[in-house]
Amino acid sequence: MKAIRGILLTCDPAVKQILLALNEQKSFIIEDLDDYHLVIRADDEVAIRRMLEDELEKNTYTLE
Amino acid sequence: MSHKRTAGDYGVPAKRARRDDDEYLDVADEDDVIPASPPDTGADSGLVPRGATINFSALKSKLAALAKDDRDPADMSSLEMHRRKQDELVSKKFGNEDFSSLRLKPDHAARPLWISPEDGHIILEAFSPLAEQAQDFLTAISEPVSRPAFIHEYKITAYSLYAAVSVGLQTEDIIEVPVPDAIVDFIRNRTLSYGKVKLVLKHNKYFVESSHPETLQFLLKDRTIREARCVSAPVDSSIKSSTFTTSKAPVRGNLVIPGTSKEPDKNDGTMIRPNPTDAELFTSVVGVESDEIEEDDDDVHSFQIDDTKIDDVKKRCNELEHPMLEEYDFRNDTINPNLDIDLKPATVIRPYQETSLSKMFGNGRARSGIIVLPCGAGKTLVGITAACTVKKSTLVLCTSSVSVMQWRQQFMQWSNITDRQIAVFTADQKEKFAGDSGIVVSTYSMVANTHNRSHDSKKMMEFLTSREWGFILLDEVHVVPAAMFRRVVTTIKAHSKLGLTATLVREDDKIADLNYMIGPKLYEANWMDLAAKGHIANVQCAEVWCPMTPEFYREYLREQSRKRMLLYCMNPNKFQACQFLIKYHEGRGDKVIVFSDNVYALEAYAKHLGKPYIHGATGQVERMRILSHFQHSPLVNTIFLSKVGDTSIDLPEATCLIQISSHFGSRRQEAQRLGRILRAKRRNDEGFNAFFYSLVSKDTQEMYYSTKRQQFLIDQGYSFKVITHLDGLDDLPDLAYRTRDEQIELLSSVLLANEQDAALGADVKASEGDLQGTVTSVDFGGPASGRFPGFSRTTGSLQALSGAQHMAYVEQNKSTNKKLAREPPARHKLFSKRDKVQATARKEARAAGSSMARP
Repeated sequence: MKAIRGILLTCDPAVKQILLALNEQKSFIIEDLDDYHLVIRADDEVAIRRMLEDELEKNTYTLE
Repeated sequence: MSHKRTAGDYGVPAKRARRDDDEYLDVADEDDVIPASPPDTGADSGLVPRGATINFSALKSKLAALAKDDRDPADMSSLEMHRRKQDELVSKKFGNEDFSSLRLKPDHAARPLWISPEDGHIILEAFSPLAEQAQDFLTAISEPVSRPAFIHEYKITAYSLYAAVSVGLQTEDIIEVPVPDAIVDFIRNRTLSYGKVKLVLKHNKYFVESSHPETLQFLLKDRTIREARCVSAPVDSSIKSSTFTTSKAPVRGNLVIPGTSKEPDKNDGTMIRPNPTDAELFTSVVGVESDEIEEDDDDVHSFQIDDTKIDDVKKRCNELEHPMLEEYDFRNDTINPNLDIDLKPATVIRPYQETSLSKMFGNGRARSGIIVLPCGAGKTLVGITAACTVKKSTLVLCTSSVSVMQWRQQFMQWSNITDRQIAVFTADQKEKFAGDSGIVVSTYSMVANTHNRSHDSKKMMEFLTSREWGFILLDEVHVVPAAMFRRVVTTIKAHSKLGLTATLVREDDKIADLNYMIGPKLYEANWMDLAAKGHIANVQCAEVWCPMTPEFYREYLREQSRKRMLLYCMNPNKFQACQFLIKYHEGRGDKVIVFSDNVYALEAYAKHLGKPYIHGATGQVERMRILSHFQHSPLVNTIFLSKVGDTSIDLPEATCLIQISSHFGSRRQEAQRLGRILRAKRRNDEGFNAFFYSLVSKDTQEMYYSTKRQQFLIDQGYSFKVITHLDGLDDLPDLAYRTRDEQIELLSSVLLANEQDAALGADVKASEGDLQGTVTSVDFGGPASGRFPGFSRTTGSLQALSGAQHMAYVEQNKSTNKKLAREPPARHKLFSKRDKVQATARKEARAAGSSMARP
């Protein structure tokens, strides 16, 4: 019997799509529940958040 | 710090809400916080705060001390509570730089201005009652960087000072008020040399003119300039001021700009005067007139230079930091024949147009420079009025052959010029005007072309270069590449130049080049002012955020090419938002224009929503029919336009604008599109607002571009509201792509679309003579796009194609263009019958005639 600690992630559909795309590089999704919810590995949470932040930042315009 | 604030928020209120009897930060205290500020000279220096550089660490300790002084929330009024809540919302954003707990000085209301000693930025509180008067002066000496509703930002630059000097301000006028020493030095250094030397074309000879003989001597010490000098008097090896020709300085005299009222006491030579009591304070600074009076007594010294070396001299003078102002004494020019041109009596020019022109003709001569006015504020009329003032042969250069025709038409409309005096020089038409003087309208590229020309063009160019032009008008001057511009300026001999533009921005930073090639910026209008006075429409801007549907977003993330763009344009949520907004605004009685740079999206939207559309491939007849329907028919309230509509189509009926796809981050395009509704006919109605929507797909590159595009308009004082949810969207009865199946169907058709379909503005082909890189052509700074029309090859049996396999075709998604009523119904039977009889009679007569001639 092997157990993996997971975290329930609530997000909007677009972010979910980004996460699915990221999942293709490095698998971290345990279960894809619906449009708004995912279960991911708890260990990867911080890294995933940072990657997501970077991804979203690409579409933001700053004056500098 | 930010953390501390949020944690202790309830105990430590932001000190915005303060009591007046509170002790404030004492001035003596402040001296250790703010070092070495310029001397504060009492009450009249109210304009300038003492704050110069801020010592952050000292400030922070002060801040911490102040933070201890907290108050019981119970004894605050409801307004104070509300304020405090608001402050808490934003204070996080500022982190360490949250100074809201600092108390303002008791006389802060009298200090609406701050000058940064390091970079010459000036911050002005535009809500202060003093601000309006300060603004006129600040726009004269500095560049407006950003002018939103409350806080304006200006910047003193070398060029802005150059411009200030050119409109007649002196160094002492500019630094009348106490300013930081660094800025004083900067201004002194710059104005010392600027504007001291003028280049004047008098009796067809170029003169370098100055009221300071020592400056001329300085210039003559330079080899290039000395060699260029024409010496007519006996040669004197030592250069003395006695060799300069001395003449009276010019006076504005009785020059009246046509269209302005001729009341003698109206001083159209100055900027708008504040009311008399405050006037005393400001006239000394703002008054252009007083300088001229002073100047009357001065003698002007000049020496002549060789025509052919004029460019070298100009360049050299720039290098020596003595850039020459170019002025044209057109009233004393007897060599070039006058052009009999005047504004029509009915033509009235607006106050700001008058102000801009008075900057140009301030001393009775024509100064070269640039005038910046918003789209729809009547740039053309300013140009025409200037031409009517100079009354010499005029050359007008614009960016495309479409605008050539518009300029010509405008000249005919506003002035009394006759058909024969105005000529057009484009790829199709090469005319010359009749008589000694006249107007030629052409494009930049026609004149600057260095490649082989047709015989006709060559002859026309010889005509253009052989003669001298009194005045050259440069439309949309910000788009012209520097090299092309230099060629135009050197091949054509013109006495004075006027550049016109709405958006003095470029995505590459080549704007500075214009300063020395044409001249300084003479005038820049404040958009918000014009809107408040009703010259341009009030516009509500909004950015509508449409979430991507999961299916579209998945494909978007996969796609790496330009097709991404197609995906975010065709986002079903965007489609629905567009449909909703059209419906809503049509219901209000608005006339709506929908812009899309992407032709594929344009057609898809228009066909699905059953609206007529125009893009590059739409025929001229069809175009005219659609436009006239839009203007006159109550049944057609919405049209879809591609890039063709950005500039060349004028629709004063339009009151609402929706943008579904646009050209990357082009700030100019955004401003130009806004310009389509600025001249709305109904703008003077009570409480009228025009609407500008930008539909943006969330979480895509479009968000980035959209923010970038808005920067120019934001600097002009527009604010964009963000709409995340359209109320009532879901209740729309025939909402497009409501079900998931429909959306997926749409997605599959988008994925099947050609690569070419994703290109922007591919429909608009630049015709010969159009300027590269202007909105009408494909190359707009973005990635190169497919220039060739897409085609596809399929195999199929001849039988099938001819319909023999029981195939029938029905056009499902029909363009509404076709449904619009065509020409008026056919003539009555009686008349058509008579026409037919007449035609056969003519035919018979002809046949009879030819048979007679033959035998």
